Amino acid sequence: MSLETLLPILIVVLLGWYLSFLASRLDRLHHRVETSWATLDSFLQQRAALAQEIVLESNLDPATAYLISSSAVNARSAQLKERSAVESILSESLKLVQGSAVDNSLNLPSELLVELSDLTVKIKLAINIHLEAVNATRNVRSKLLIRLFRLAGKAPLPIRYEFEDDIL
Amino acid sequence: MKKIRIGMVCPYGWDTPGGVQTHIRDLADHLIEEGHYVSVLTPVSYDSAQSANYVVNAGKPISIPVNGSVAKILFGPVASSRAKQWIASEDFDLLHLHEPAIPSLSLLACSAAEGPLVGTFHVSTQKKKAIYAIGPILEPIVEKLTARIAVSELARSTLKDHFDTDAVVIPNGIDGQRYANAKISENYSGGHTVGFIGRFEESRKGLQVLIDSLAIVSRFIPDVTYLVAGPGESEDFLKRLNPQLRSRIKFLGLLTNEEKMSFLKTVQIYVAPNTGSESFGIILTEALSAGTAVVASDIPAFKAVLENGAAGDLFINGDSADLAKVLVALLRDDERRKKLAENGKLSAQKYDWQVVAEQIEHIYEMAIASGDKVRLSSENRFWSRR
Repeated sequence: MSLETLLPILIVVLLGWYLSFLASRLDRLHHRVETSWATLDSFLQQRAALAQEIVLESNLDPATAYLISSSAVNARSAQLKERSAVESILSESLKLVQGSAVDNSLNLPSELLVELSDLTVKIKLAINIHLEAVNATRNVRSKLLIRLFRLAGKAPLPIRYEFEDDIL
Repeated sequence: MKKIRIGMVCPYGWDTPGGVQTHIRDLADHLIEEGHYVSVLTPVSYDSAQSANYVVNAGKPISIPVNGSVAKILFGPVASSRAKQWIASEDFDLLHLHEPAIPSLSLLACSAAEGPLVGTFHVSTQKKKAIYAIGPILEPIVEKLTARIAVSELARSTLKDHFDTDAVVIPNGIDGQRYANAKISENYSGGHTVGFIGRFEESRKGLQVLIDSLAIVSRFIPDVTYLVAGPGESEDFLKRLNPQLRSRIKFLGLLTNEEKMSFLKTVQIYVAPNTGSESFGIILTEALSAGTAVVASDIPAFKAVLENGAAGDLFINGDSADLAKVLVALLRDDERRKKLAENGKLSAQKYDWQVVAEQIEHIYEMAIASGDKVRLSSENRFWSRR
């Protein structure tokens, strides 16, 4: 075979190899987004449950109690898109009890508060890890070859979990 | 946290001294104490029976000069197949790769593995940035890491610049208790003492700045002694010094670990005059945990450790007159020196292994939450999928 006939074959083979490489890279990234979201989601659910428990076991004024438990309920039932907004509201309202932990008359259950601050640390980490995965995925998905050959298939574009750093 | 099987990869020769190796050894010891299973894959230069039983030898490292300093690293097909064998045979829940972005054993392991991977980035110096230049090739590999750890804000920004990715900052840990309980030795006391440790021949360690301050300091504090520890030739420094001042400076040579701890505990002030390119400054945290007042140049890494001066005094980088001013003020005021040392000791608690290892375990917990296990990425090709 002459070089002229070999060259196109070689190019096609190389392109095929590169495309399969890109596809598996993207597949791995999607997997990372899913697992990191599952982790974050479970921590957020735990926090909402914990918030309701704190309200039940302490001596809060009705306004604060209502604020916390309603935002916890909202957080648990929110759609994916509004999730970060309602979680931020929950963070804000939980700050009320975390700030007033020194006041003994409220009868705040200290072990639950410790659990809450532990959970907050973990949520921060989980958000960080999830955002990382989402950003990497979005970067790779914006590559020309990937868009051209629709390597992402029907997988939805991952959404960023927006959050304010100082709220958590 | 439940007990898991952790595989760690060290990029540099296990038997050559270095910050990364020390960090990995201490971390492995801590995790084993916590009940986890740990295996460390690392290059070893001299196969001796002395290394700990969790160390797995991956072969002899080769010395590669990286702009001035020499790195002992290992790669190539043999190392790569060793790494694959190790991953395949150990059934790990998680791999922790140190410095996965330089061509090394960690990079090989990272490209061969899939599943929960955690990477720690230590480098931040300007010098080694050349090694990061191959970023685009490394990107798909670094991207596999489930979670990234940077040892300092500087290491984090290096990572941001080169890979466009973020990391969680977890500082290097130290065994604070051992420094706090170190013995006070009379070898390092007498009059007013100022200490320095480091490979002082390297100009970036800044010993010259410290020595230049002696002329002024000794005028105000006649009984001051500078104690300099570390390997190197002292002749050159002494030759340039005014003969009358030579008795005020003592070169102690290389200290053992025990000696170093009591040195840090005994001296009245520890000085870190480094002129640049430090990533973290572990020696500062060690001196702080020993309960010794610290004076350091105001380079970013040190400013961060000393919390902008709350945990120790800062002087203008490279300015020996400013250093002398700070030293004289601090040596004269016993009360303030004590207070500063107390503040420092308190702030160094966050570098204690107890705290640091817990943070790292949090990261592990996140990484393994998916329930996946570490496996070879070749098993995931579509023709070998079951």
